[in-house]
Amino acid sequence: MSEELLMMLLADARLPVAGHTQSGQLEAAVRSGLAAEQVPVFMRSRLASVVRVEAGTAVVALHRLRAGLPLPTVVDAWAARTPSAPMRDTSRTLGRALLRLVKRLFPDSGHVAEVAALERPCRPLVLAAAAATGGLAPASLGRLVAYDDLQTVASAALKLLPLDPLDTTSWVRDLLPEVERVATEVASLTDPDQIPAPSAPQLDLWAQAHARTTRRLFSA
Amino acid sequence: MPENTTTNGRGLRIGVCGPVGTGKSSLIALLCRELAADLEIGVVTNDIYTDEDARFLRSAGVLDPARIRAVETGACPHTAIRDDVTANLIAVEELEEEFAPLDVVLVESGGDNLTATFSPALVDTQIFLIDVAGGGDVARKGGPGIERADLLVVNKTDLAPYVGVDPAAMVSDAGSVREGRPVIALSRTDPSSVEALITWVRSELARHRGGSLVPADPGPMAPHFHADGTSHTHDHEAEHVHGHQHA
Repeated sequence: MSEELLMMLLADARLPVAGHTQSGQLEAAVRSGLAAEQVPVFMRSRLASVVRVEAGTAVVALHRLRAGLPLPTVVDAWAARTPSAPMRDTSRTLGRALLRLVKRLFPDSGHVAEVAALERPCRPLVLAAAAATGGLAPASLGRLVAYDDLQTVASAALKLLPLDPLDTTSWVRDLLPEVERVATEVASLTDPDQIPAPSAPQLDLWAQAHARTTRRLFSA
Repeated sequence: MPENTTTNGRGLRIGVCGPVGTGKSSLIALLCRELAADLEIGVVTNDIYTDEDARFLRSAGVLDPARIRAVETGACPHTAIRDDVTANLIAVEELEEEFAPLDVVLVESGGDNLTATFSPALVDTQIFLIDVAGGGDVARKGGPGIERADLLVVNKTDLAPYVGVDPAAMVSDAGSVREGRPVIALSRTDPSSVEALITWVRSELARHRGGSLVPADPGPMAPHFHADGTSHTHDHEAEHVHGHQHA
């Protein structure tokens, strides 16, 4: 299978993996006063923090799947770097959603079976299983994680703020060099200890606040 | 084949959809009240903005609040029951795992328009709701839910005298576009109409358990009519040549 085509498939917003239920904490940020013109900064902040953790986790899991090494230490490293319980829960729910699809796409994959056997695998591990099965390079997997995050926020922004979709798409384009930087940074990682450990307490707080509100459009 | 067709002995999944304010939450509360004595039930709601429906149902006291889950749809209620049912399916599966064995899971769509219907990948059978207060001509307007949902409910018939609508005419209009599929004129204050609804649900459950209930898709498109008097649906798109373009 062409790596490029598999990338397109997995990055497609129309993928039935509940992506439309996610705002990447943008809804909570808007509720606390984030303005439309600040969305690009918000996206960049995610790339510099939570996205590096997710991308690093995915790439290390990909390496370990291919090398036949155990995965639980990757899960522990990811959890230690994701201090907000609602964020961990969201990633596990999205992992379940993605796993439904990946099981169907790769029914005979041992990598998928190995990740599926974990208890509530987080999304980067399920993506890693798809990448290991479909032959994606580590840098491609990093790009996929980071690009998907940008588009998730951009798409949610259109629901939450008075924005022109041409603007949000331009913002995604403008941040593509940052996506490339994240992908390059994580591409060579092989050990759970190497997964970046940035901190973004404001995102954590928004995630916590959002989980407690009863008035919301998005799950997270 | 939709994944849903492999039923594995699980409970019946019933979708409830229809325009805003037609009484979906009340219908679900009614079903819980009437059925909870002898059936194990779970409920998934899809509110547009908030978990208002879930809270309404919890406060109605008809079901253990833990059995009522709200799914946020990111302002995409149509997507969540049609082209990406993942979030709803996960909520249904979680309820089924946690409270096994459930006999029935009710999935309430976020109030949408006349074109929204459930994918057969999510539910086994579906109820489409309209109400007399929405106007006497709604049934005539048709649409996939009105024409082909497994059951059409014309709700709030007790309000008919106040809104100048004849429920019998509405049911007759609906019947004429439904090719024999059932229609129930419902009022919470009319025990015989409630009984008819409960009988329908129980018969769907019996068909599901007997293996004869195959989820049917009401489809996104109404059949349309050609100037030469022929009509067709889009189910057989590939089988004939169109002389015109579709938007």
